[in-house]
Amino acid sequence: MKLSAARRRLMILATFAVAALALAGCGTSSPAPAKSAGDDLSGDLNLVAYASVWQEQFQKAVIDPFVKLHPGVTVHYLAKRSSAEMLSALQAEGATPTTDVAIMDQSVANAANAARIFQPFTTKDVPNLAHVQKQFLTPGNYGPVDMADAVALLYDKSVFSKAPTSWNTYWDKKYSGRVAMVDPPSALGIDLTAIVSTMQGEDYHTSIDKAIARLKDLAPSVQSWLPNPDEYQTIITGQTVLSIGQNGRGQYYADQSGGKLGLVIPKEGTAYQLNTVNLRKDAPHEKVAKAFIDYSLSPAAQRAFAAALFYAPSIDNADLPAEVQKRVVRTDGSVKVVDLDPTFVASIRDQWTDRWKREVIGG
Amino acid sequence: MSTPKLALVDLTKRYQPGLAPAVDHLNMEVEEGHLVALLGPSGCGKTTTLRMVAGLMDPTAGRIVVDGEDITSIPVHRRGMGMVFQSYALFPHMNVAANVAFGLRMRRLPKSERLERVRRALDMVQLGYLAERETKALSGGQQQRIALARALVVEPTLLLLDEPLSNLDAKLRESMRGEIRAIQQRTGATTLFVTHDQDEALDMADRIAVMNGGLIEQFGEPSEVYERPRTRFVAEFIGRANLLDATVVADRGPSGADERRYDVQVPGFGAVGAVGAPGLTGATRTMLVRPHRVQVHCDPGASGSPGTVESVSYTGDSVGYRVRVGDRAQLAEAPTDGRIAAPGDVVRLDWDPASAYLLPEEEER
Amino acid sequence: MSATTSIAVPRLPGADDLPPGHGVHEHRSRRRDRRTFWALAAPGLLGLAVTYLLPLLYMVRMAFNRGKPDGFIEQTFTLDTLIKPLTDSYYWKVTLDTFLMGLVVAAICVVISYPLALFLTRSTSRYKSLLIALAIAPLLTSAVVRTYGWMVILGGAGLVNSTLMHLGLVTVPLRLTNNMTGVVIGLVEIFMPYAILVMMSGFGRLDPRLEEAAASLGARPRAVFARITLPLTLPALLSAFLLIFVLSISSFITTNLLGGGAVHVLATEIYDQATGLLNWPFAAALSVILLVLFGVVIAIYQTVTRRLRLDA
Repeated sequence: MKLSAARRRLMILATFAVAALALAGCGTSSPAPAKSAGDDLSGDLNLVAYASVWQEQFQKAVIDPFVKLHPGVTVHYLAKRSSAEMLSALQAEGATPTTDVAIMDQSVANAANAARIFQPFTTKDVPNLAHVQKQFLTPGNYGPVDMADAVALLYDKSVFSKAPTSWNTYWDKKYSGRVAMVDPPSALGIDLTAIVSTMQGEDYHTSIDKAIARLKDLAPSVQSWLPNPDEYQTIITGQTVLSIGQNGRGQYYADQSGGKLGLVIPKEGTAYQLNTVNLRKDAPHEKVAKAFIDYSLSPAAQRAFAAALFYAPSIDNADLPAEVQKRVVRTDGSVKVVDLDPTFVASIRDQWTDRWKREVIGG
Repeated sequence: MSTPKLALVDLTKRYQPGLAPAVDHLNMEVEEGHLVALLGPSGCGKTTTLRMVAGLMDPTAGRIVVDGEDITSIPVHRRGMGMVFQSYALFPHMNVAANVAFGLRMRRLPKSERLERVRRALDMVQLGYLAERETKALSGGQQQRIALARALVVEPTLLLLDEPLSNLDAKLRESMRGEIRAIQQRTGATTLFVTHDQDEALDMADRIAVMNGGLIEQFGEPSEVYERPRTRFVAEFIGRANLLDATVVADRGPSGADERRYDVQVPGFGAVGAVGAPGLTGATRTMLVRPHRVQVHCDPGASGSPGTVESVSYTGDSVGYRVRVGDRAQLAEAPTDGRIAAPGDVVRLDWDPASAYLLPEEEER
Repeated sequence: MSATTSIAVPRLPGADDLPPGHGVHEHRSRRRDRRTFWALAAPGLLGLAVTYLLPLLYMVRMAFNRGKPDGFIEQTFTLDTLIKPLTDSYYWKVTLDTFLMGLVVAAICVVISYPLALFLTRSTSRYKSLLIALAIAPLLTSAVVRTYGWMVILGGAGLVNSTLMHLGLVTVPLRLTNNMTGVVIGLVEIFMPYAILVMMSGFGRLDPRLEEAAASLGARPRAVFARITLPLTLPALLSAFLLIFVLSISSFITTNLLGGGAVHVLATEIYDQATGLLNWPFAAALSVILLVLFGVVIAIYQTVTRRLRLDA
């Protein structure tokens, strides 16, 4: 406690110093010209979210326009490779958070909500919440889904003249040794387990024995459980011809692959990968944080991010252009989606991981 | 003479083509039971010669013959030599007895015989009580003797010693000289001994080979090498020497078996007597007079050539003088019982004509 | 020998029969030495305590907590987390695999590096320093870059497989990566410079005169190697073995990348538990096992070296 008190004092001091500098600046020059009359929003915003291509696209599609609207705001982006890493960073902050907003996987966020790491908010502070689809709201008014994606089958277009239509393509011996797979605890592995379980006619809520048996048959065909550099590039670089990935990133990399990478959501269905936007409990810049969350749920931001990285909007009034709409995952009920409730996922993640390790990969 | 124990025939070693050879067509014969010292300054080729005899180094040309048999192409481990290194090279991971037993083990001797011979070898160097010790706990002198025992226990065809005393302090070195010599004589091992220390060579060797620039300048008994050096290099390398330019004036008849007495003219000294090989009349030669043969007379009325004392060094056993005669300084060493001159004194120098030696003409090199 | 002085004199080789000095001076200077030692060591020890000891204690403490399935840590004091891997045959297998991987990598690495180190130590070539620089040059590149290099070389369409297939030796590419084979190949290459460096620095004890002495006493080249060279270089060889073993069983990047998710050793399990499942207590428990494994191996090493009387 002593330490955190000292840190708080230091921060107050720093704030004064910054304010003093700002005043000094005002004394010699005219006020910043871009500042619109009614906008009293200013200060920092500390955001924790995904790294690499996601960060690039989110910066361009959402953060930059937001800062343009509110020139007084500075967004600090702390990039993490996974939601799990975000959660451990948030836990490490303890009682004196520096983070304001976190965008992370729904199941991880769910655990954080339960642990009171995040706080609820309503349409009073975040008006655009009113437009979030019902299926994407979080009980208890915690952070809703900000963007939706789904797991897809990735394939090499130069090997498949016709797009595969079934998840069973992985088991085709023709492609043995050229399949990339991603195992749990990664969400892709969890999703595939649930999908295969459903395909085998069992309820994964009670047992995944059949799914594990089926996946065990796949194991000899798998070249790598840790595709490198990632599950998309493994096909583009020709190491494998079948892989598993997310629809959104897959669409993005497909454009860059010069026609090499193809992807499809097979007929047996998919599982959503949902990212929620969350407000940190005791967020140091709560007002800016709420404004940012509201903006990220606005039609403009949702459209821009959908066009950039092909995530489906979570709101009902995004009005995507047709060429974007056909590439993002449909959220209107027309695609079969296995239900992976975040609480359920959190409860089975380590068990499923264990079974993959022991029975599928190690078996 | 019967077959020599060791004969080196035109032995040559050239480390790199184009460079001067380290050993240059060296010829030498060693008699059975002799201890021969290879004496010379560093870089003279003495160690190279020893290593070639040991088989640790291949000669560029020439032959090595032991007991009439050419061993030049026989590898080191089949030569049966016993070698003692300057650093002793005791095996640090074996105790004293195991070190000494090593050569016997390699010869696959039965254990009982091995133990007996190790015991005898250690007794010979009087270190039997150290048999179970670690070698690193031993003093330099003890290590040296263990190394000697290790080399001798195999009853080597030749005992090769590479500067074995140079790592010991002065006092120990002197006592070890006697000890090595005694052991060598007791075992009768024909020994080749590399050293740069002339005292060691004179004290221990039956024969001395004085080496310089890859060549043997002189090979002979210690007294011969000392008293009758063949070259200026030998005269100066062994002992201290006054070397004077002498013009031989007249032959005064025989002196000893095959030498003659001459009258010579030496600048600064005038007409003096000397001995040398026959037929030198009229020739110009270098004349050697050892300092301790020079008599220093303090009495101004005495005979001899006058000179001025430049410096005096008193060592207790004797007193050394630097005396300027004419334009050159000469060395003299006198007993301490008479009057001791002081720097600046005028003294007279002379010597017994039999102790002034005219060097043979040096070959062009 | 007459050495009564307590002033440090430069010792000549072989002049080691000076009796140890004694007397008042000796005591005083020894006390001063000890003070100097602590003064010089203090910053380093403090740094070690802060950067190593404290995190280590924190880690050990963490192993007595309980990890909850949702990624949170239950602050408690329980042996459950530590007992779990001990009662689970899967983790016994992982531990055994880790141990075997370390042994195999260290053995191959040492066997390959030993002749190189011996050659480099003995070389009198004027290119010696260049050769040494070449041998350890791989250290200038990060292990990650070299691992990626191996992934390319060993891959299905990589250099090794395309050569073998071109020569008609195999028809289906060999699986050289994404399995233990790839991990071992990668680790051996990555750790070779360390093995060479450690051995070269330890080969100082090997005076070439000792081998010459043995040969002159009748030892054939093979006997010289077996009785002189090998015993005298064994301590350095064992040090290199130990170092490579420890580096191998704690290596993560190469194991992870070349293992392709199919190689499960303690390091990858710790990573998965810590970052994938956020089960820090369990990751800590596995780390404690790894630490115990280190301890066991180091104890064996010390016993062996002492038994061989080679540790001086």
